[in-house]
Amino acid sequence: MTDPSAAIEDLFRREWASLIAMLARRFGPSHLDLAEDVVQEALERAMSAWRLGLPTHPKAWIVQTAKRCAIDRLRHLQRADRLTEAALDVALANLSPEEDASNQLAMMFSLCDEDLGGETHVTLILRFLCGFGPREIAHAFIVDTATIDRRLHRGKERLRALGTLADVSDSAVIARRLPSVLCALYLMFNEGYQGSDHEQPIHPALCRYALHLAELLLDDAAISRPEIHALAALFCLHAARLSTRLDDHGVFLRLAEQDRTRWDQQLISRGVLHLSQSAAGDQMTRWHLEAAIAAEHALAPSLAETNWSRIVALYEELRRESPSPVVEIGYAMAVAELRGVAAGRAALDQLDPSRQLARYPFFWAARAELEVRAGNPAAARELYTQARALARNSAERDAYDRQLELLGA
Amino acid sequence: MPRFVFVFRGDSADPVTLSPAEMAAHVRAWYTWADRLRAAGHDPNGIPLERGGRTVRGAGRLVTDGPYAEAKDLVSGNMSITAASLDEAVELAKGCPGLDLGGSVEVRHVAEHDV
Repeated sequence: MTDPSAAIEDLFRREWASLIAMLARRFGPSHLDLAEDVVQEALERAMSAWRLGLPTHPKAWIVQTAKRCAIDRLRHLQRADRLTEAALDVALANLSPEEDASNQLAMMFSLCDEDLGGETHVTLILRFLCGFGPREIAHAFIVDTATIDRRLHRGKERLRALGTLADVSDSAVIARRLPSVLCALYLMFNEGYQGSDHEQPIHPALCRYALHLAELLLDDAAISRPEIHALAALFCLHAARLSTRLDDHGVFLRLAEQDRTRWDQQLISRGVLHLSQSAAGDQMTRWHLEAAIAAEHALAPSLAETNWSRIVALYEELRRESPSPVVEIGYAMAVAELRGVAAGRAALDQLDPSRQLARYPFFWAARAELEVRAGNPAAARELYTQARALARNSAERDAYDRQLELLGA
Repeated sequence: MPRFVFVFRGDSADPVTLSPAEMAAHVRAWYTWADRLRAAGHDPNGIPLERGGRTVRGAGRLVTDGPYAEAKDLVSGNMSITAASLDEAVELAKGCPGLDLGGSVEVRHVAEHDV
């Protein structure tokens, strides 16, 4: 039997996203607060009533309860009439999977409004389409809850000003908003991937939901694009390695230390399929390049048998397409594998550590690793100490401690 | 084996708002608790209660809406179990997950007909 508690969490999150999107579309995004309250109340009632046993039809139970809560609240606002009740009845009884998906897509494109920043986009998506609470979002992004509340407030204000949800059948709307939508999903996935910590079950969930939402975009013929397949491929190929990134003590393992036999072959196949579908257009985006790099890693039988020359070539294109310090570090490490430690060090030495990079622990860890390979333990110790000071969670900190221990520090 | 009834009061996390995952985790904690009681032979049988209802009062059969108790005093369900003694039943009640959300459990001995 499947674990009923995991099924309840799944159901709660799904109904949260589905009902909020439906209510926001029907009553307008200015009533997002109302939608949120209604669904919160319905789920609280479910929590209370289900403690001593599940109802026969859990989904229908939530939908019916949400409808009653909605009507109660509309009555209170003196906005309920027979028409509204009938409309809610129809909307809830006949909510087809297609309509549900279309409601959620309208929400996603509305939340990624140009006037709001990327972090706010992610916060809003996590809240309304994935059902994360403000405290959980704050925890994942290591900011305080007040910051998340402010972002949610700003987002709701903006939607209120807009008056209606985005029209996802309008190709101009899709073209304008899609880049922000994809960036938001990428940010969300990345946080799940980099922030992995065994005390933080929320992180794998971030990766799972980013992939789920990317595939929701792909299921809509008007929205689907090769570059979304590339993004989905990237998510699958990275997620396939997720469970092997930490050892039994929750410490980060480097690529060389990961147990390749435990990589998720199903996800790798799904990623490869998305990658082949991403080749349909003539556009080469950063998602294509990053997915191609991830595929090289995921399909290589061992670290030594990895096609480093192809990876370096892909990184060179990525440096032109989408330059960033993170890309430079990946490039330098690949160069070190292909052309030797000295070439890798030279590439890292070209980076300016005074700016953004200085606060990025992986920059110091990458330099440390190359110093170890070059046979300079003293320099490596110093660099790992700097990385450790910048570590953002215990999994990262413990990984650097382990390296320091190996170096006899 | 003597029977006892747990009367659960208070069932909402007010004023803390729980996320969907936290609410699901709370339901899960109740199932785990009931499973543990069942495995230990305490034969738990629960009845959850909806929030609303009516009250019928006195010889005049006066019907009123409600119960209108404070959320923390509202009976939200009960469960009958078997235990060797009141003390054991109280120990078992301490495992109730509702306590973590500020609820309470009243432990009552079921009156026995045979003496």
